[in-house]
Amino acid sequence: MATRLKKRTVVIVGGGLTAGLISRQLTAQGIEVLVLERGGNPSNGAAEKLPNQRDELRWDVRQGLVQDWAVQTYSLRHSRKDSALPVRRMEAFLPGEGRGGAGNHWTGITWRWPEYDPALRTRLESRYGKTAIAPEILIQDWGVGYAELESYHDLFEKLFGISGKAGNLNGQIQAGGNPFEAPRRNEYPQPPLEFTEAGLILKATAEKLGYKPFRMAAGNSSGTYTNPDGLKLGACQYCGHCDRFMCEAKAKATPELLLFPVLLERPQFEIRLNCHVLGVDYDRDGRRVTGVRYVDLLTGEEYEQPADVVVLGAFTMTNAKLLLMAGIGEKYDPVTGKGVVGRNFCYQTSSLVNLFFPDRWINPFLAAGCSGVNIDEFNADNFDHTGLGFLGGGAITANLKGGMPIRGRRVPPGTPRWGTAWKQANADWYSHSFALTAQATCYPHRENFLDLDPTYTDAFGQPLVRMTFDWQKNEMRMSEYVTKKMEAIAHATDAKIVGPAVPRKSPFDTRAYQSTHIVGGTPMGTDPRTSVVSPHLQHWDAPNLFVVGASVLPHNSGYNPTGPIAALALRLGDDLVRYVGKPGRL
Amino acid sequence: MTPDKNDPQGRRGFLRQVALAAATAPLTAGLLAADAPAGVAPPPAPAAGPLPGYASLSPDEAGLLEAMLNLMCPADQLTPNGVDCGLAVFIDRQLAGDFGRGARLYRQGPWPAGRPELGYQLPLTPEQYFKAGVAAATAACRKAHGKRFEELAPAEAETFLQDLAADKLDDSHFALGAWFNGLVYPLFEQACFADPLYGGNINKVFWKMVGYPGLPATHANDMLEFRGKPFPGAADPKSIADFS
Ligand SMILES: Cc1cc2nc3c(=O)[nH]c(=O)nc-3n(C[C@H](O)[C@H](O)[C@H](O)COP(=O)(O)OP(=O)(O)OC[C@H]3O[C@@H](n4cnc5c(N)ncnc54)[C@H](O)[C@@H]3O)c2cc1C
Ligand code: SF4
Repeated sequence: MATRLKKRTVVIVGGGLTAGLISRQLTAQGIEVLVLERGGNPSNGAAEKLPNQRDELRWDVRQGLVQDWAVQTYSLRHSRKDSALPVRRMEAFLPGEGRGGAGNHWTGITWRWPEYDPALRTRLESRYGKTAIAPEILIQDWGVGYAELESYHDLFEKLFGISGKAGNLNGQIQAGGNPFEAPRRNEYPQPPLEFTEAGLILKATAEKLGYKPFRMAAGNSSGTYTNPDGLKLGACQYCGHCDRFMCEAKAKATPELLLFPVLLERPQFEIRLNCHVLGVDYDRDGRRVTGVRYVDLLTGEEYEQPADVVVLGAFTMTNAKLLLMAGIGEKYDPVTGKGVVGRNFCYQTSSLVNLFFPDRWINPFLAAGCSGVNIDEFNADNFDHTGLGFLGGGAITANLKGGMPIRGRRVPPGTPRWGTAWKQANADWYSHSFALTAQATCYPHRENFLDLDPTYTDAFGQPLVRMTFDWQKNEMRMSEYVTKKMEAIAHATDAKIVGPAVPRKSPFDTRAYQSTHIVGGTPMGTDPRTSVVSPHLQHWDAPNLFVVGASVLPHNSGYNPTGPIAALALRLGDDLVRYVGKPGRL
Repeated sequence: MTPDKNDPQGRRGFLRQVALAAATAPLTAGLLAADAPAGVAPPPAPAAGPLPGYASLSPDEAGLLEAMLNLMCPADQLTPNGVDCGLAVFIDRQLAGDFGRGARLYRQGPWPAGRPELGYQLPLTPEQYFKAGVAAATAACRKAHGKRFEELAPAEAETFLQDLAADKLDDSHFALGAWFNGLVYPLFEQACFADPLYGGNINKVFWKMVGYPGLPATHANDMLEFRGKPFPGAADPKSIADFS
């Protein structure tokens, strides 16, 4: 029997980035928040101390900070015709656990998506006509415009001390920034990071070709920084151990450094670590949730935690799973197209090409996680798609990310896989090569969705989330186009060898990392028939239930998602202040 | 396979190899040395070699693995042979530890076969899988060449390994190509390039070979000073042990 605890005002499931942001807004207004997080306290361990922080095998290859797949994984089938199998050791995407969530081991690349993205259907239909979006592509407007999110982007960038160069200040295009950027009221809080050698190569080549290269906005602090809450960042050391690591220099912007220290001081805030949430209690007739159930991993005891308001901030997969298990909202059915929970599940379409420069010292280890250069000309709907036969696109980037030697080496095509020739090629090219990458859109498709696996269960005896996902025609055509553009840029550099540029192709491969940008499953929108939550992230069926994070994004753009995720979370925090004062439909 | 493979003196006579590696500096190190400030000589490499003894492997398993590693990483102007670089010790310790015992691996059945893109789908722990593969490779080798792998002449061994990697060996019961490419080859690369803490990459020989400077990687100034130029620290990498 679960022990019933005292009721709380707001209970947030998951103690990651979004939970931290929402809690900041709520507790500042005196509203009590309880966060339930399945992992522990990640700080002050070997993961962020020299010398062990630099251990590529432990943190990167063996995924030391990532969700334990033995406890919980996901199953996959590439189409409804297949039967799903559990991914026994996921490499494609790497959710986090512990206070701070994936916000501990993220890289820090911080985008605002284009102004049109929240109204993507409207944009594409007005630009290309009512039939431009094929019926099986489920693009939908979010119901909240960029203008409304701008102040929250601005706040997030200040809280996280983002380093970058504005491309569009109040509608004025700025030299050195991204001309496709959505208009912003303020410059970035800190100047951009330094260029890497690879970045300089892309910059020079892109300029020669008439593109407008710019440095990515970075959650790696270009200087020392104090945020509006008085919390500090050290200056980035360009160690390159960001992605999958915690930062030893306290220079990477994370919830642990920039949100939780203040929250833990506030009497209205409580976080219970090592508490794995098992379910949401739903009063179907009353159309409200009454609380959540969890198991304390330190004692094995189960608890029932009543709440006035429940927020799901437990990342894409758990958010969808908790709704599916509780039967809150109708589950999506790809045959009829009816139902909502699980739909709009999208990933990120990536591809790359290797470049080799015998006479240039690329020094891949002289780089930060976010010291990259991009061009945005072929991203999303930044270019005219008339007659192209696909929608979407990607950013083309030169980002070194630290040159870690197990996973960060490149050898020219045709190099033997072992022996003296293999070693010689590594010796010759390690410091003389880099990759251009394309990070591209993935639009929702009728056949890509989440539901519960009928066979496999996790360590708690609950069904795994099952992904039905594959690369669809639109994404493969788009990837072919963007990858060709990237290849042309590669050939326009002075690279002596350009490796094959391989566009993304079906089948989706779980064995290679492609980003942790899995979005959708609980999409937001204006129509309860096609969305799980409203534009205010309020559940259509249970108005005291809210969902936040990548799972509410109805599509993925050609950008990392945390900028809009954070803006939406901060806005939800303010919305909840109003809701707690006066419950009702927001 | 190499003459000294089964000779404990030879196997542990790595000092000679270290000296050899130092005398024939790799391309990168050579270029770097020219740019290094005068008078800043790297400290002499400590005399280290693979730890004696295996925690997981049987003598037969070790025999095949050592022969394979010395073929994949022959002693040459770049590094000592694979065994002397600690590659077998690295793999043995990985198999005997968390990784080999299947930590962080979802291990509930049922166990139907799936497309390769779904990843590893067998009930065996990586350690068990490794050993099952060694047995299957040994049998396949006997069938193809009439000998154990470690008894093959170098050219024959190379052919066998090529066939193994290309999944051309005939074994209807065990997918040898998937075993080599999915388990053995990644372990080989990790053994070469992981921090020496784990028993491979002895004397940071692979880091020196490619010019990876290792720790402490506080490059805020280097970043500008050595952007586009040879980086002196690449000739003398530092590892976790150097800061412990
Ligand atoms: C390697 C990596 C690199 C990344 N790099 C970038 C980048 O450069 N730019 C970018 O924009 N984004 C990046 N991301 C994505 C970014 O980390 C996420 O968008 C962000 O952390 C999402 O915040 P969240 O609160 O939704 O999820 P999280 O921060 O992951 O928090 C969710 C929390 O919920 C907890 N949880 C899950 N299930 C349960 C349960 N049943 N009970 C209790 N708690 C539970 C988890 O343990 C976790 O702590 C990266 C992610 C990874 C993994
Ligand atoms: S590159 Fe900078 S921000 Fe990233 S881990 Fe290193 S010091 Fe921290």
